[in-house]
Amino acid sequence: MRNPGINVLSIGLVRAVPAGLAAVAAGVGLAVLIRRAVGAPGWNPGPVLAVGTLTGILAYMVALGAFNYWVRWILAGKRPEEAETKTDLPRWARYFSFDLDHKVIGVQYLVTALIMLLFGVTLGFLMRYELTSPGRTIMGPNMYNHIMSLHGINQIAMILIGVSGLMNFLLPLMLGARDMPFPRLNAFSYWLLPPAGALLFASLPAGGFDTGWTVYPPLSVQAPLGMQFMILAVYLVGLSSILGGINFLTLVFKGRAPGMSLFRMPIFGWASMATSLLQMTFTQFIGMSFLMVLLERLVGMAFFVPSSGGNVVLYQHLFWFYSHPAVYVFVLPGFGIISEIIPVFSRKPIFGYAAVGLSSLGIAIGGSLVWAHHMFAAGMEPWLRIPIMITTVLVAVPTGVKVFAWISTMWMGKIRLETPMLFASTAIAVFLIGGLTGVPLGIVPADLYVTDTYYIVGHFHHTMFGGFVFPLMAAIYYWFPKVTGRFMNERLGRVHWAIMTTGFFTTFLPFFWLGLNGLRRRVYDYDPSDPFQTLNIVSTVGAGLLVTSFFLVAINIITSAIWGLRAGANPWRAKTLEWQVASPAPDENFETPPRVVDTPYGYGRPGSVHAIMSTGGAEGDN
Amino acid sequence: MTTAQAIQKMERPSASTPYFGMLLFLVSESFLFGALFWAYYYLKVKSPVWPPEGVHLETALVSANTAILLISAASMQAAILAIRKGHRKRLMLALAITILLGSAFLAIKGWEWVHSDFRPWDHAYGSIYFTITGFHGIHVLGGILLLGALLVRAGRGLFDARRHLAIEVAGLYWHYVDLVWIAVFATIFIIR
Ligand code: HEM
Repeated sequence: MRNPGINVLSIGLVRAVPAGLAAVAAGVGLAVLIRRAVGAPGWNPGPVLAVGTLTGILAYMVALGAFNYWVRWILAGKRPEEAETKTDLPRWARYFSFDLDHKVIGVQYLVTALIMLLFGVTLGFLMRYELTSPGRTIMGPNMYNHIMSLHGINQIAMILIGVSGLMNFLLPLMLGARDMPFPRLNAFSYWLLPPAGALLFASLPAGGFDTGWTVYPPLSVQAPLGMQFMILAVYLVGLSSILGGINFLTLVFKGRAPGMSLFRMPIFGWASMATSLLQMTFTQFIGMSFLMVLLERLVGMAFFVPSSGGNVVLYQHLFWFYSHPAVYVFVLPGFGIISEIIPVFSRKPIFGYAAVGLSSLGIAIGGSLVWAHHMFAAGMEPWLRIPIMITTVLVAVPTGVKVFAWISTMWMGKIRLETPMLFASTAIAVFLIGGLTGVPLGIVPADLYVTDTYYIVGHFHHTMFGGFVFPLMAAIYYWFPKVTGRFMNERLGRVHWAIMTTGFFTTFLPFFWLGLNGLRRRVYDYDPSDPFQTLNIVSTVGAGLLVTSFFLVAINIITSAIWGLRAGANPWRAKTLEWQVASPAPDENFETPPRVVDTPYGYGRPGSVHAIMSTGGAEGDN
Repeated sequence: MTTAQAIQKMERPSASTPYFGMLLFLVSESFLFGALFWAYYYLKVKSPVWPPEGVHLETALVSANTAILLISAASMQAAILAIRKGHRKRLMLALAITILLGSAFLAIKGWEWVHSDFRPWDHAYGSIYFTITGFHGIHVLGGILLLGALLVRAGRGLFDARRHLAIEVAGLYWHYVDLVWIAVFATIFIIR
């Protein structure tokens, strides 16, 4: 885009990418020289590139302007803010700069997540295509392993990024705040992600990695160089997730509008509270477990080497102590979205507000005590089995509370089946299958039978689609008017929903049968005499539909942002605060802080008001 | 609540947003060190001999080093008390002493690292020993840099009795790092 008034160098990314690349080269050179100086062979790709990555990221951040404020704060006058408000950049350029507005950052996160989602599902389809026939179809076994592993970790990272994006855009608006409590930290958290994405993409040319997303040693210690890229990428995503969690939790506790007591928050606020709590605490565990693998690779440490007194099961404990709660990190905001959308489109108050809100915390706390159910078959301490089995089955209870609350909310409501509602209600059905197939996995004897089969793969794709992907789609259709001031195309939206739902079930329901019949997960090949091929082909056809549907929504987003029908401030007649301001949301969010007087769920109650806006927005609108 | 009350409430440092943010950060860091302690005790429980044969720890030297860090906690607290009363010179002196003590701690730790009779790659004990003390050292280093930045700012006269939240928040961090060291010391040198 040509724009006469603007200096390209004022766009952060234009400065940051060359600076980062130059610093990678400088770091590599420096590392080689130091190695020569101490008498080691100069070129050893692992350590040398690790140094290069770190210097590169540092220089990229500096060039982006992430530290400008702090340098000025230390050295200079009283109000370093004045020097940095650069809203003089045109709107589009702000998305490529170190911008502090939570709405810009939210969109940055979400677009990043969608790009990674498209990449990830394409990889998923390639895997499915390979499995349509025994033996080689389109790729060799190594390539399959690399794609499988990259698909897994790319999707997990995408989820974490998408969650932060939703919370960034929505939470300050919903809670009546001007911005995040720590806006610079917020921007910093986002800008860690582009290098992480670049490292993930680069891991394939760097030799790939074949450990799955779980990075179990000793395989991960021996895996090719791509492993190191992936570990560093996850480290960056984790850091971003921790810092984001601190920011969101501070917002929930310190940034609410006057009158917004905890029990007047939208349910999404409760969900975000629980999610950020998990993010800022447990993420340290995956960080540490990955770091230990990295130290074994680079320095030759011996945490996991039995002959030196190490223990591989230690890795699995540390890893799953994070990675199980991690599934709640994305399920909870997904539930939050469902809880926001169902009442609006049923025109009824949410059923059991306090129970739905508190069950988020219940899931978070319960979910942190179940990590070892991933290790029933891993030679873990036998005495841990029964307690973990009990806690696992118990977590189903707060989840069940939510499902019943949603259904009761819809019961006898005036339901409007527009796209957000279509996706939100489908999400419940999909998650229900995912959740119910999960309970047998918590029961030790049943788990020992199906562990590491496609049954597991079917189970977790149901939870991830029901808990995050379908709610994300609902959220995109629902909040798009608030982001852009325009509607998404409703007809294309319905087509997208139909294709995605059929595609999803055709792909993933067969997984349960395949798994029960013994198809193992993470395998490239199967015996032609086994009865797997038909179902594999069915599933691959479904995967084709499913991938198409993701590209449909991408097209819908782009075209609607340009040509979509204009939407007013509150097109869905919702009561939460973000709908009481103009669309797209104004830069300063609220002219004066709204005064909250009730929960936002008084649908169908004449005269019910959530908040009094200074400009007089939220009148009893049923 | 009247506006005046509201403003007063905002001014109590422990009720402020940055203070809360730092508290959350420290909770998060506790999970980082929690992971390390988990690893330490797990490896210990699973090993027949712990620490392995031939590991000799400089307990006397490290105890002295612990004392240095504890004194730095006192000087940090002195810095906070000084600026609460508006004594800028005393603040700078106390900050400088804290930085010096912190650096002395790191120097002694470094000497001990170099002269220890085992290396990180010798055995699992060596790996976890160097990782735990290394992570603590990084946190001390971070604290020193933070205090250095505050010293520069104090030199420019940017803190006074009313506006010095950064000192309070940094003090919280410094005390936390001390506390972690006590846990590290107890784990590695007393419980072993
Ligand atoms: C078109 C959509 C998708 C298809 C066709 C697909 C396909 C697959 C297949 C076939 C596997 C198993 C590979 C194996 O065990 O050999 C797999 C694993 C996995 N998928 Fe997907 N997937 C899709 C979307 C997603 C999404 C949206 C997510 C997350 C939100 C996801 C997360 C994962 C994870 C975490 C693994 C585990 C990788 C591992 O074993 O380490 N997938 N996927």
